[in-house]
Amino acid sequence: MVGVCGLTATQANAQLMRLNLQPAFSTNAPAAKAKAADTKPKPPTEIDSDAADFDLNAHLATYRNHVVVTDPKVRLTCEWMLVTLPSGGEHLSHVVATTNVVVDFTNEQGEKYHVTSAKAVYDYKVVDTLTNETVTFTGSPVVETTNSTIYSEPMVWDRAANKFHFTEPRMISKDTGTNGPAQKLF
Amino acid sequence: MRGPRERKMVFVWFVSFVVLFMATGNRAQQLPVGHATDFTSNQYFEPPNERLVKMKLSGAEALPLPGGLLDIRQLRVETFALDGQTQVIVRAPQCNYSPFDGVANSAGHMELQSGDGKIHVQGEGFLWRQTSSSLTISNHVHTLIDMPGAMM
Repeated sequence: MVGVCGLTATQANAQLMRLNLQPAFSTNAPAAKAKAADTKPKPPTEIDSDAADFDLNAHLATYRNHVVVTDPKVRLTCEWMLVTLPSGGEHLSHVVATTNVVVDFTNEQGEKYHVTSAKAVYDYKVVDTLTNETVTFTGSPVVETTNSTIYSEPMVWDRAANKFHFTEPRMISKDTGTNGPAQKLF
Repeated sequence: MRGPRERKMVFVWFVSFVVLFMATGNRAQQLPVGHATDFTSNQYFEPPNERLVKMKLSGAEALPLPGGLLDIRQLRVETFALDGQTQVIVRAPQCNYSPFDGVANSAGHMELQSGDGKIHVQGEGFLWRQTSSSLTISNHVHTLIDMPGAMM
């Protein structure tokens, strides 16, 4: 059985189906696929904040207070964010967002997700021909979908494969109207 | 003809100037002391790359201020990599610049652009530290990143 962050394949598959995410279990996606998607024209990502510090030697940007990241598909807010700027590269490789992190995004099927946590770390790297692009949420992360609310520590959003990885998740289903304490799923 | 006392004073001033010039250390081209227009000052890399320009500071106008500061209009700071490629361009309509400690600041508007043009930053109020190549923007920071999959 293939494990996904401590879950068996069957368990994870059932969970992913509840989330209406694509049940893909490979942790890596072909770089060629990502490259093909990258060729589409895309509006620039916008970052707004009250203040910012730039270390031009270390290629680091630190955004402080009321940080808002606006992307065509994703909106992120937090109070502090560190961005490692690529030096001649084509892709941001590392972003750390902390304090009251809120991420809202819509997947390719048009379904909305609302994630909150204390910290989120974005990592992007290509190893051989495989692209790894993940966002790891820690600090009491919670994801709300149309149908459910899921608690997991940590929670990993695999952007290359377009799926979530949960560790010992607890879910409250909105379909059944369950309003009691979160139940352990598996 | 100058007397011995006058010659001594000239020598003292000359030595003071040389010491002051050497104290700047980084082979920086001297910034204007008085009023100047369309000036440029280059800062070079440390040896063994001392012939390569590390930073170019230019302005449309420089006015002397008390304390050795300069009021620079249309500031443009451009930093370079060792291969000569432009890394960052910083522009500001006005700023106060201290040539001795390499610090520029302003309460006004500023813009930063990466050498490849993929990152644009603008804001209000800034502090630029030349020695550490660090920039702090105090208010209303707005960044555009034009890269594939730029952010989360």
